Amino acid sequence: MTEILQFAILFLTPVISSLPIALAWIYKPGEEWARKLPYLSVFGLFVSLVISLNILFNFEEGFYSYPWIEDFNINFVFVVDYLSKYMGVLTALIAFLIGVYGLEYMKDDYRLGWYWFFFNTFTASMLLVVYSDNLFTLLIGWEGLGIASWGLIGHWFRDDDDITFVGEKGRKVGPLEMSWSPSFGGWRAISTIRFGDMPMLFAIAAIYALTGSLDIHAIPWEDLFVKIGLVGTVILLFLFLLGPFTKSAQLPFSEWLMTAMTGPTTVSALLHSATMVAAGTYLFMRLTWYIKPWEAHVPGLEAIYLLVLFLGLFSALYGASVALGLRERKVLLAASTMSSLGLMFASSAASFWVGEIAVIVAFWYLIVHAFAKASLFLVAGHLIHATHDRFCSGNLVFSRKMKVAFAVTIVATISLAGIPPFTAYWVKSGMDGVMEHLMEEGLSLPFYLLVLVSVIYSAFLAKFLSLNFIKGEYPHHEHTEGGGLMKLAYSAMVSMLIVLLAIILLQREEHAAHFLEEGYLKMSLYVGLLVTASYFITLYKPTSKLKIGVIFTDRMYLPFLNDFIVPKIGWGIAAIVDALNRAIDFFFHTAIPGFFDRLSIAIRSIQSGYLKSYVKIVAASIMLFLVIFSLVGW
Amino acid sequence: MIVYLLLPIIASLLAPFLKPKKATHLISLSFLIPFFAACFELFNFTTTEIPLLSFSPPIGEFYVLIDPISSAFGLTVCMVSAMVGYYSFPYMLHRFEEMGLGENEYRKYIVIYGLYAASMLWLVYSGNFIMLYIFLEISLITSFLLIYMYGYGNRRWVGLLYFIWTNVAGVLTLIGFIVIAMDNSTLAIKGISAISMVAWLLIFVGMVIKLPGLGPHIWLPWAHAEAPTPVSALLSPLTVGLAGYILLRVYLIDPSFIQAYRNPIMIYAIISSVYAGFAVFKQMDYKRLLAYSTVSQMGYILIGLCLGTYGLIGVVIQYMSHAFGKSILFMTAGGIIASYHGLRDLRKMGGLHEQIPSISNAALLGFMNLGGILAIGMFGEFFILRGVVDVFGFEISTVPLIVAVVFIFILSGWYSFYTLKKIFYGTPKDLERPKISRYLDVPLYLIGILSIIFIFPPLITVLLNGLKAIIGGGT
Repeated sequence: MTEILQFAILFLTPVISSLPIALAWIYKPGEEWARKLPYLSVFGLFVSLVISLNILFNFEEGFYSYPWIEDFNINFVFVVDYLSKYMGVLTALIAFLIGVYGLEYMKDDYRLGWYWFFFNTFTASMLLVVYSDNLFTLLIGWEGLGIASWGLIGHWFRDDDDITFVGEKGRKVGPLEMSWSPSFGGWRAISTIRFGDMPMLFAIAAIYALTGSLDIHAIPWEDLFVKIGLVGTVILLFLFLLGPFTKSAQLPFSEWLMTAMTGPTTVSALLHSATMVAAGTYLFMRLTWYIKPWEAHVPGLEAIYLLVLFLGLFSALYGASVALGLRERKVLLAASTMSSLGLMFASSAASFWVGEIAVIVAFWYLIVHAFAKASLFLVAGHLIHATHDRFCSGNLVFSRKMKVAFAVTIVATISLAGIPPFTAYWVKSGMDGVMEHLMEEGLSLPFYLLVLVSVIYSAFLAKFLSLNFIKGEYPHHEHTEGGGLMKLAYSAMVSMLIVLLAIILLQREEHAAHFLEEGYLKMSLYVGLLVTASYFITLYKPTSKLKIGVIFTDRMYLPFLNDFIVPKIGWGIAAIVDALNRAIDFFFHTAIPGFFDRLSIAIRSIQSGYLKSYVKIVAASIMLFLVIFSLVGW
Repeated sequence: MIVYLLLPIIASLLAPFLKPKKATHLISLSFLIPFFAACFELFNFTTTEIPLLSFSPPIGEFYVLIDPISSAFGLTVCMVSAMVGYYSFPYMLHRFEEMGLGENEYRKYIVIYGLYAASMLWLVYSGNFIMLYIFLEISLITSFLLIYMYGYGNRRWVGLLYFIWTNVAGVLTLIGFIVIAMDNSTLAIKGISAISMVAWLLIFVGMVIKLPGLGPHIWLPWAHAEAPTPVSALLSPLTVGLAGYILLRVYLIDPSFIQAYRNPIMIYAIISSVYAGFAVFKQMDYKRLLAYSTVSQMGYILIGLCLGTYGLIGVVIQYMSHAFGKSILFMTAGGIIASYHGLRDLRKMGGLHEQIPSISNAALLGFMNLGGILAIGMFGEFFILRGVVDVFGFEISTVPLIVAVVFIFILSGWYSFYTLKKIFYGTPKDLERPKISRYLDVPLYLIGILSIIFIFPPLITVLLNGLKAIIGGGT
């Protein structure tokens, strides 16, 4: 029971601790005392962190449940297992550090109540997703993520500050202006997510109807798949996975993630590391963990896992190439996140052939990526503050004034790129091993795709470093003083990568040995060298004038799907519907009353007052009667 | 319970003797007390009958029918009526001023308002179809009067239009009831054993006009848009949905008609819902927009009706969810109207969050209800989707159906957030920041909070357990 209580505190404290500022901002926006209340919100995040650590160290692995609607077999069921205990700490820690950063970053904002309420709700929702075993409990967190991300992405709803936009104002490609405002970014995020969430809700309802259970660990997956057959399995899982695909911005649902950069940088950092987009891959890992596709060789599963494998890899390639062409600090990082998410999907999907270890590799990659990406975003936020420019700018003179940010960027990029012997190298080696294993199954493409993605990935990370600190233009605007809390937060964040490296090298974790083993393989080393080469070449020459770069900058024209094709279809149907409405309205409210009007006038014309016409009518009626009478017969 | 049900009627008759503010509190309180009583009944799973009058056949006994279904509908009616009651106070005074009428007009208004809301409450608890019909007609006449006297635009024409359409619906239903009476020689719900196809058809057509489905839906945007906003906030959330309640009651007695014509009804409901969902995007008048969204949401109810046990649970929850959400939204529309001298045109809005954040946040709560996001509607959608699998199975041949139903839910999310963006976000317009009376925003939040705490125990637990006892389902 105390465990359940701790879970409740874990989820509720962040939300409750942000209520004072939310209420204060409704009634007294901008008051001096109200600007102190965010400390309380961050304290709430801290409480969650403490409890998640307690869960990691002191809870037994297993399931904890609390009755909700027992008669319908819908309960709050929380799981503590390998995935959730680490993911929980990861989420809480990153949210807390970003919270600390946000105290300074957001201190002069005009909408603090909204910001902190949704920021903390966001964290709480993600924690709920992480620890939920019951799919309906998970849905609450899932929907919470959706609504909170909408709130945060569209935070600067006034659309009045160019620094909050994404894209270049005035730049047109065909009929589209490649520029997006915050309020548009929010709408785009929620509309894309909605497109995936509802099929997922259906899939959950279908699982519930077919098995009577909603607890991931208790659902008899294999029986279920056998029962609905090959096609049924494919349809069910495809609909289910539309949720994770949209949340994790896989092709072709990636556009929302790019325009999500209209939100405050703290939001981008949280969105891209441990919440929201990670929720999609995390859910896929969790399902895979319990479906155990490597044991249950149901035919439909292979098709789905193959789909996820290649969707992931191609999204990774797309994201990486696009990142190569982007100049906006945050959007570049956003595209890189999409790329990483693709790799996570691909690696977890490979578990169908490789086994559980593939999921663990993907999960470790998620952790490394989360800390590195959060650090990079926080640095980007500080840079945007310091230069008042959302495009990459900065050179060695500038970086002398931003030493901490410079150092953090170096550590984060080399740790994430997969340069030996830094953190991501070991994990990426594990991933190389997984993809190599697929070759034995006759799938050689994934390995080459992975290598290609890794090389491009490392290149744009170097580009980010180079254009912001080494070879970029000198910033037009400079404001490098202060920022103590921000520096503290991203230094702490990036130091976690070193902790992870130590854990791997000192083998303080059960799977560390596997990563070391893979890292010492020749093949991994070759890939590592390629990546290193690509890193340093780009560092030296960060820009290129190739034509293809423009296509990448325009995100391979994917915005047309979101901004042109789908809306055109929608508005077309709406126009037809509108015309029909007018027709129906005319028929009922003009035509029918008009007909009766005329009819009544016509009938009244009989009543003329002349005896002559009355006699005529009577005579005619009698004649008519007689005619009918004689025709029909008696 | 009967005492609690009488409270609103007594209060409506007393209210004109008080000053507007006191009268408002009296009316709202007289609905809040039965609200808690209905919650109490729900917690106790009360299923009982309180006899009132007895007539000779074929009318039969009049009694108050209390079961978890009527408690669920009853508490919704009470909550919304009470909150809209508070809301009426500043809004209608503002409206009278606009129309050049004095404060005294409020006496007239409050009596009719009270009777209108009370008649819906009594309808939900009616244990006899004739009794039910009587309250249906009272609600119709009272709401007609309110539109006719205090509506916007060409209110007399709209009032008549509303009256004729719903009267056609009412009369068809009445004939249906009479046929039932002839067959069963009673109209007491407990005594009816069979409902002939003719009776079912008449009631169904009548209620589809009232609900409304595609085709007859055309009356609804007129009535909802031109009614004074507190009336819209009862008309759309409560009144039209009661058609769903009547169909549900008839279904529970004898589901033969729906079972026989399940597929065409389902297809009609889906088309109606998608059609109205798309129509929302084209509306430039906020209240008309909400009216089309009502048509779309009422499609859910018709869909749920075709989906067996879980579909029926979905119907009840969908009614509640829509009532909560749409009442909030109509009140936000009214808030904008009251703040900006009748501003209803979407093209003149934009960035309103800047000036009226409290109304904007309330609208978010309302749209969350419509979209089933973190509010009770989540369960409605969930059970409807489960019903699809239960009734139609999970095969390739059902995929188009599944896609269609899922698309309806997607669409309602889309138009919700599209509207929010259009009205409240984006570059603010050059408008002054009005002072919003607390009566114009607090009631909205109270409904919103209720709709959220309804997804957590104990409320959802008792609601679903109660529905299980009447409708079935569960494990």
